[in-house]
This record gives sequence, C-alpha cells and structure tokens, in this order.
Amino acid sequence: MENKNPLSPHIQIYNWHISSLISISHRITSIINIIIVTLICFWVAFLFLGNSNYEIIQKFFQTFLGKFLIISTVWSFSFQVLSEIRHIFWDLGFGFELKTSNITGLVVIFGSFILTIFIFILGKNLIL
Amino acid sequence: MINATKKWIFLKISSAILVPLMVWFLFNLVSFYDRDYEEVLIFFTNQPTKFLFSLFIIFAYFYSALSISEVFEDYIDSEKLKNVANKLLYLFAIIIPTSTLLLLYKLTL
Repeated sequence: MENKNPLSPHIQIYNWHISSLISISHRITSIINIIIVTLICFWVAFLFLGNSNYEIIQKFFQTFLGKFLIISTVWSFSFQVLSEIRHIFWDLGFGFELKTSNITGLVVIFGSFILTIFIFILGKNLIL
Repeated sequence: MINATKKWIFLKISSAILVPLMVWFLFNLVSFYDRDYEEVLIFFTNQPTKFLFSLFIIFAYFYSALSISEVFEDYIDSEKLKNVANKLLYLFAIIIPTSTLLLLYKLTL
C-alpha cells in the first residue's frame, strides 16, 4: 500500500525556537547515543581479548580524546534522560503550555550540563 | 490496535525503563572508565552489575531502533529505501547486543 503520510518539512525552513532546538537535539543525541552504546559493546569485546590488549583502551581513556569522549557521553546521555523525562510528562498530559514548554526546554539544556558535572563529582567518588 | 500505536507504547515503556538504567550506567561509567583491566572486568562480570548492564544494552538498542525508525519515517520519501534502512537498523539492533551479551556471559564462565 502506498504511504500517503507527509514528510516532515526540512529543518532549514523553520525559525529556531527552544522547542525546535530540543526536538532536533533529542533526535541527534538518540543517534549519537546508539553509536556510543555500540562503542561500549566493542569495549566489552576488548575485555575478551585479555589484559595485554586491554591496555590500548586504558591508555586511550587517559588521553585528551578519551576523556573528551567520556565527558561527551555523559552529556549526551544526560540530555537524553532529561528530554525523555520531559516527554513522559507530556505523555501524562502536563507541560503543554507555551511558557511551561519553554521553561522545561531550558531546564533540559542547562540541566544536562549541571547533571553532567553532578554525575562526574558523585561518580568519581563512587566505590565499585 | 494499529501498528503505530503499538510502536508508540513500546517506545514509551522502553524509555521509562531506560531512563533509570542510563543514570545508573553513567554514575558507574565515570567511576571505572580509567581503571585497570581487572576492575573493569569485575564490573562487567559481577552481579548485579552484569544483569543491569544486560538490561541497559537490550533496552538501549530496542528504544534506539524504534526512535531512529521514526526519523526514517519522517525524512525518507522512498518506501523501498525506508524498508531497507529499517531492516538494516533492526538487524543491527539484534546482532550487536546479542553478540555482546554472549561475550559477556562467556567471560563469566
């Protein structure tokens, strides 16, 4: 059966608002996060290769790029977590008013950076 | 119930499960990413972290496959191309977590 659903207009024709910024960022971070989760899967696979091969991964995480990757991962996941919570509230019927939607959008943006810092401070002191 | 409704319900259930798993994983990730082989191995192979990590991987791929297929729905016009993209996506979302979990459980044995 032919699909008659309209395609979404291209993002370039919109004026940027907080809601559109959050929406496109949510989709971009969804794709980035699945790439990150795939890299985590490869990380687990490296464990299977033994201690000597794992040193490559350990050394990589000590480099600037490795640390940047970890910080980016925490931010990207934090953004997704807060944005998902916002979506769950919408699904329950709360937060649709324009003012509330803009405020919660800002909470997602700034909250993701605050949550990243919070996770690093608390996570670094976590005992496995 | 139409397929789109089922997909939406699965997306919402998986996202509600994934949120606490993501937070749990992030706290642990920053605490062990730069540790040595033995400590990282203990994290991935000991319980309850192995069970929680398995859930995290399964739901992360399940949720991502559903949400990325929504992106395909919105931005790919050709039905043929969309079908191929969706099939590749679902195949990827099955193969990667399954092989990772097999490796993980083999590591424990």
